[in-house]
Amino acid sequence: MNPRSRGGALVAAAVVASLALVLAYLAAGGASYEPAQAQNPCEQRPWRETEGLQELAEQFSLSALDGAACKLGVSRETLARALATPASRERFARRYGLSDADVARAVRAGLLRAVDEAERAGALSPLLAAPLRATLRRIPIEQAIELIQNAESLLDSLQSFLGPAGGLIEQFLP
Amino acid sequence: MSAPPRPRLAALAIAVGLVLADSSIVVLALPQIYRELDTSVAGVTWVLVSFNLVMALAAVPAAHLARRIGPGRAAAIGLAVFAGAGVACGLSEQLGTLVAARCVQALGGAAAVTAVLELLPAAVGSERRAVAVWATAGATGAALGPALGGLLTELVSWQSIFLIQAPIAIAAGIPVLAVARHEASTAVVSAELRRTGRPHLLANAALALVSSAIAAALFLLVLLLIEGWRLSPIGAAIVVSAMPLAALLGSRIGPRAGSERARAAAGAILVAGGLGGLALLPNANVALTLPPQVLVGVGLALVLSALTETALMGRAPQAIHGGWTISARHAGVAVGLIVLTPVFTHDIAQQRHDAIDAATAVVLDGRVDPLLKLRLAQRLEQRLEGEKGKVPTIGPAFEPLPSDPGDRADLVRLRGELQDQLDRAATHAFSPSFGLGALLGILALIPIGLARRVEL
Repeated sequence: MNPRSRGGALVAAAVVASLALVLAYLAAGGASYEPAQAQNPCEQRPWRETEGLQELAEQFSLSALDGAACKLGVSRETLARALATPASRERFARRYGLSDADVARAVRAGLLRAVDEAERAGALSPLLAAPLRATLRRIPIEQAIELIQNAESLLDSLQSFLGPAGGLIEQFLP
Repeated sequence: MSAPPRPRLAALAIAVGLVLADSSIVVLALPQIYRELDTSVAGVTWVLVSFNLVMALAAVPAAHLARRIGPGRAAAIGLAVFAGAGVACGLSEQLGTLVAARCVQALGGAAAVTAVLELLPAAVGSERRAVAVWATAGATGAALGPALGGLLTELVSWQSIFLIQAPIAIAAGIPVLAVARHEASTAVVSAELRRTGRPHLLANAALALVSSAIAAALFLLVLLLIEGWRLSPIGAAIVVSAMPLAALLGSRIGPRAGSERARAAAGAILVAGGLGGLALLPNANVALTLPPQVLVGVGLALVLSALTETALMGRAPQAIHGGWTISARHAGVAVGLIVLTPVFTHDIAQQRHDAIDAATAVVLDGRVDPLLKLRLAQRLEQRLEGEKGKVPTIGPAFEPLPSDPGDRADLVRLRGELQDQLDRAATHAFSPSFGLGALLGILALIPIGLARRVEL
């Protein structure tokens, strides 16, 4: 092989090796290896099948988070982290130029959307949904945030509020 | 009068390798320097950029100095300055002093490396061989640098990288001193009176482009391994040692494999292909970085030696043309880092945000006890706040694991999913920069192709 052919073979080998690597990595999913994108909170998510009060409460919280996040124009995930501690809430409000009243309004709107969705999904009876909406419209921000984080306490309180009829709640659950 | 040829040759090759390793040796120590000196990613990049920038600016003037005062004396002074500044780097407690000392170190390094090129022909017997030795020593030093730096950072400290260079530089300078003494007793070589030929523009332009690409490969891969995938410096050093090992393999592909142009083109293609592979990593597995590293390593050995030989062959004086190649290489590295740093710091910031959102989504949608979930979300928030601007370590947020076997299994699964999201984000953050590096490698093919018609 003359020097010119050897040079050509060397360049061809380099092209083949490079293309083989790039194509192999593309075939293995190299172009799509990225973190999951946050879902638009304004789009309704399917109501997950729930079993018992705890799971219903969790689904309720997630739905409320979506509603509040949609109102504030942030992702559900960003809002969940923002509501984790008072300090994180303050940072969040500062970053997005929000007042406590703005956050309160959004959280209440979120909770109301969760009630609507739960009712629509048949997870909450209209008998419970109506007093729940009335309570949520007047609830102070701290309690609203607590509820969004742990709606089980809300459903528990509702049970106490209904007194002797409270035991019926479980019967309204799917 | 002077050291026997073999030890002198070894000393000269070590001097070149040592100085040129310095442009990359600190790469694996950057994350530690970043934390200890409490600076930013963009700030710590200047530990690398300053050295390469000063080398680029000083190489040609240093070569002129070597011709004026004699290469032996220039090399001896250069190595002494390099050693002294290395000690200053090792003792630096602030980023500003470290960067200033790195600039002085580069001045000394530029003088030593260009002067050595004038000294090598006497040690090896021919100009061609001298150029080959000089280019190979430089490529080997640049490729070995990160792995050595990583080992020293992990086993001793980042300061030791600089401190250990002083005795090596002095040891390499001893045989050079004999030449310097000889120069002092005779008139300075008449070579300085010879007319300096025009530098090989296309070969030097290709060197600059391909050096940018190689800097991207080394610098970004190390950052990905340490900051993204959380490897220790020694772990990262072991991983990136694949590149110098492949470079050693590539350096055995000599002139018999083809012309300088063919070797340069093949090398640039391999560097671009390797960087393309790094831009398309299918998951966060260190083993997957090995094939791209092999391509980059073999490619860098081929392209750097072929282009250096092209730029120097038949051109006199060697020190000046060697100075131009050093200038082109280091300008390429400096410009590459300056261009790539804002790209990947922006991408890292964006991906960090996406990673945190993706990780939170995993927690929110995870099938674990809501109270556990709440506690976890609070701990994650605290960890994210505690690690501003970095990819967070999420493991401690899960400690202690619950005693209930069911909850424990759920939480371990959740931790795995969360880590996967963070790995995806970290890996994805580096993809555009690796891609840009690959593009620089491909662009180097333009001057390589043109060189055939115009200058070779």
